[in-house]
Amino acid sequence: MSSSKGSLRGYIITRLILVIPMVFILLTLVFLLMRVAPGNPILAALGGHLSPAQLAVRERIGGYDKSLIVQYGEYLKQVVTGHLGTTLTDHRPLTQVIAQNGAATLELTVAAMFVALIVGVPLGMLAGRRRDSWLDTGARVFGIVIYAAPVFFLGLLAQLLFGHILNWLPTSSESGVLVQANLTPHTNILIIDAMIDGQWGDIPDLLAHLVLPAATLGLVISGVILRLVRVNVIQTMKGDYIEAARARGLKERSVVVRHAFRNALVPIVTVTGLQAALLLSGAVLTEETFNWPGIGSELIFYLEARDYIAVQGIITVFALAVVAISLLIDLINAWIDPRVRY
Amino acid sequence: MATTLLPDEFESGVASRTGSGEGRLRGLHRAFAPLIAVRGLPRWLFWTGATITLFFVVLAVFAPEIAPYGFNQYIAHGIRFPQQASPSGAHWLGTTVVSEDVYSRVIFGARTSIEVVVLALMFSVVIGVPLGLVSGYFGGWLDRLLVLINDSIFAFPYLLLAIVIAFLLSTSVGGGVLTAAIAITVVYIPQYFRVVRNTVLSVREEPYVEAGRALGAKPRTVIRRYVFANVVHSVPVVASLNAADAILTLAGLSFLGIGMDPSVAAEWGYDISRGVSDAQAGFWWTGLFPGLAVILLVTGLTLVGEGINDTFNPLLRRPNHRRFAMPKDVREVTTVAVETEHAVVRVRDLRVWYATDRGPVRAVDGVSFEIQERETLGLVGESGSGKSTLGRGIMGLLPVGAIRDGSVDFEGRDLVKATPQEMRRLRGPSIGLVFQEPMTRLDPLMRISDHFAEALHTHEPDISDAEIRRRSLEALGGVRIPPTRFRNYPYEFSGGMRQRIMIALALVLKPRFVIADEPTTALDVLVEAQILSIIADLKNNFDTALLLITHNLGIVAESCDRVAVMYAGRIVEQGAVVDIFSRPEHPYTQELMRSTISLSTRKLHYIPGAPPDLVAPPSGCRFHPRCPYAMEVCRAKEPVGVEVRPSHLAECWLHGPENEIPPDGRRPLEREEIGIADEA
Repeated sequence: MSSSKGSLRGYIITRLILVIPMVFILLTLVFLLMRVAPGNPILAALGGHLSPAQLAVRERIGGYDKSLIVQYGEYLKQVVTGHLGTTLTDHRPLTQVIAQNGAATLELTVAAMFVALIVGVPLGMLAGRRRDSWLDTGARVFGIVIYAAPVFFLGLLAQLLFGHILNWLPTSSESGVLVQANLTPHTNILIIDAMIDGQWGDIPDLLAHLVLPAATLGLVISGVILRLVRVNVIQTMKGDYIEAARARGLKERSVVVRHAFRNALVPIVTVTGLQAALLLSGAVLTEETFNWPGIGSELIFYLEARDYIAVQGIITVFALAVVAISLLIDLINAWIDPRVRY
Repeated sequence: MATTLLPDEFESGVASRTGSGEGRLRGLHRAFAPLIAVRGLPRWLFWTGATITLFFVVLAVFAPEIAPYGFNQYIAHGIRFPQQASPSGAHWLGTTVVSEDVYSRVIFGARTSIEVVVLALMFSVVIGVPLGLVSGYFGGWLDRLLVLINDSIFAFPYLLLAIVIAFLLSTSVGGGVLTAAIAITVVYIPQYFRVVRNTVLSVREEPYVEAGRALGAKPRTVIRRYVFANVVHSVPVVASLNAADAILTLAGLSFLGIGMDPSVAAEWGYDISRGVSDAQAGFWWTGLFPGLAVILLVTGLTLVGEGINDTFNPLLRRPNHRRFAMPKDVREVTTVAVETEHAVVRVRDLRVWYATDRGPVRAVDGVSFEIQERETLGLVGESGSGKSTLGRGIMGLLPVGAIRDGSVDFEGRDLVKATPQEMRRLRGPSIGLVFQEPMTRLDPLMRISDHFAEALHTHEPDISDAEIRRRSLEALGGVRIPPTRFRNYPYEFSGGMRQRIMIALALVLKPRFVIADEPTTALDVLVEAQILSIIADLKNNFDTALLLITHNLGIVAESCDRVAVMYAGRIVEQGAVVDIFSRPEHPYTQELMRSTISLSTRKLHYIPGAPPDLVAPPSGCRFHPRCPYAMEVCRAKEPVGVEVRPSHLAECWLHGPENEIPPDGRRPLEREEIGIADEA
């Protein structure tokens, strides 16, 4: 027992070391991407608003008159030290953008993932178990069609139905105006902030605002989860240890849940992790649709303002989030499957 | 919503067929022939998807002819269209806030989408495929670098990537189809790269490529054919799924107002974004129809990909088994068995037939035998003679579509008629099964201790943890696994140890009857001897009856009391081991004995011909096409079990009964018939 725990620790250390090259490559890509644009960020954002002399001063302060290599070095240094600078257009510290809007995005994506798993996993298991039944065909068609729906179009339909026709739920923003004004930010995740201060009366309002965006994004992702669970349950049900478990007279329920599903979980978790890209991309669109004050809406806002420093900072955060998610996924897998730790 | 739906079902199952070498076109034709031939759901998926996709392609190509107006036309014959008019005869799908015809915009939107997707796919294939080939073929640091970059791009939220690229391009070059296509291309290159690289890599390690190399064949030729054959199946799957994603990505970009300039072309995503504000004012039609168009086209493309994948992915392919009913009176003669006094299990006329797409396979076709307490019956026969199916048939562990008939009497109840629930309760505590391949029979994620706890808990719900531990360690001790290994995982054991654990796991429930299906085939000779002695010990300690399935006559001689010889679904001879080994009476048994190798073997003996096809077995005696003594009667009539000596049965006309053989029946069969059988 102690030996397997020891190797889990060893695995975590090895895995953490592997993060470094991935972060490095992603940061390099972000930097290259942001610098292929002609001109420099100052010119793009403020050109026409300031005199050439003022622009030159700003360029020198920002270091944009130096060579690309030097700028690249400074960018890496910024990321490592956590000082990402301030936005060009409205002088917000990027760390603040990330803390405030990032928290909203985190809340949305976690809730959406929750919805996706609640819907996708049981449906996928059922479909996989009753392969080729009407239930399976129905679940597959649901998975394909829901995935084919643009998340913003689903959002539009949801807003129409629940917001305007039934008038049950708010269709915009993260909270009511009064609630927002009442809360003191601790984590910037409003629901948690309300809990910390014991403002329980605000929670229904916060949840009501969360329902439509999270359900919309979650449903789209549930299509992918469903397909993933289905195909992996089908494959593991063919496993030799499944037949062996049946030969020991285990109940079909434990054969499916304890053996088939648990073994299917490893590939499911892995691929769900790869879908982090899907989740984050979907979040940008969902935030735009529901005026959710997340980091995705901020990205679009700063893009339109041509504030490339803000854009670079936000994309950097997304890149780091991807690395963090893939790390998390590998650790979960190591926890489920003892063989991974080798 | 733009996503890279991982071709999940696809990746694990790249079809491993080599394509035709002559002519790419013929190769292509052959490669896709299964799409035409396939039946059932895959066929339905593919053709529905193909129809929808084709519909949109037609819309795209003939948009100016089909659409009544231009995409941004708001005036015709000098009359301005109404603003935000609901669907009517004049404007089927209504008009927008700037008086454009929604119907025309949806049609022109199809044109924009298809243009962007075709360009994006062309770019990504042209760039991704060669990169993958180079990376996979040359390997080394170049491969590692490309893979690293590729994985990073793949992991990155592609919509963000597309947004930034599209934005930068549209500020420098201007928005339009080309800008959108380039932005989307970057996202998809990694996928082609991956598929092609992995195919090349896997083919380099294929055994037959190695073999070809050893034989002096040019590996490049083999690789080229193999890569072609695989890529030709996988690229269409990836491409159709990518095309679906590309539509969504494009719609997402336009929804955000990036990449496509709305004055250049109509775009569904852009229309939906305007539809959001319209909808809140009650004008539902401006956003609804473009949205439905996206869903329909993306669904169509996804179905095409799924259909191709379902057809070619060997892991997902499922043959269309024809249902069948077992005829109730196939044999006039019932089979006989050597009768025993304290039989634990009595099998009578057991038949197990499988469904296949060619018809039912008569894997076990009327067998009878009995096994007593503390007795071991060896069941021998060639591969495919039905030995394993017989074991599974007794346990009721059969695949969907298999049918059983006859009776298996066990402790006064007929297992063939038992309900699945009753069978489940018997499996384990009453009947144990030990499998052939120990490596894969334990759940890799569960500790050995959990396997034992689970089995004991299922059948003895009230058992205490201490009792579980005591009994498990006792059973493991019986197979010489030390208690220190109790909490280890399966991967920490060797094959021989795993087989011992499997045996302990079967015996901890103290079954009265154990079926061991080639328990030592996968193991080396020393371990084999060890396992056999363990099985023999346990049988004597627990009064267990044992059915030992094997193709190894040495094992039978060493550890069985009686033996039953199986051929083509029938037990052709059964009796005491000593008796049958010294005087085999059935020609098949005789041939089998001659085929064994010993130290005095000078020349290998083999039985001419091949085991028969069990969908359409030979008439009469199933061995007659290969039998050196075949007579006329052997082809005409099924043989009857005859007690050649006490407790020694053989199903062979050589031993009569005389009164059933027709007058000319003993005339030898013509030799050429045997020759033909040999050919087959």
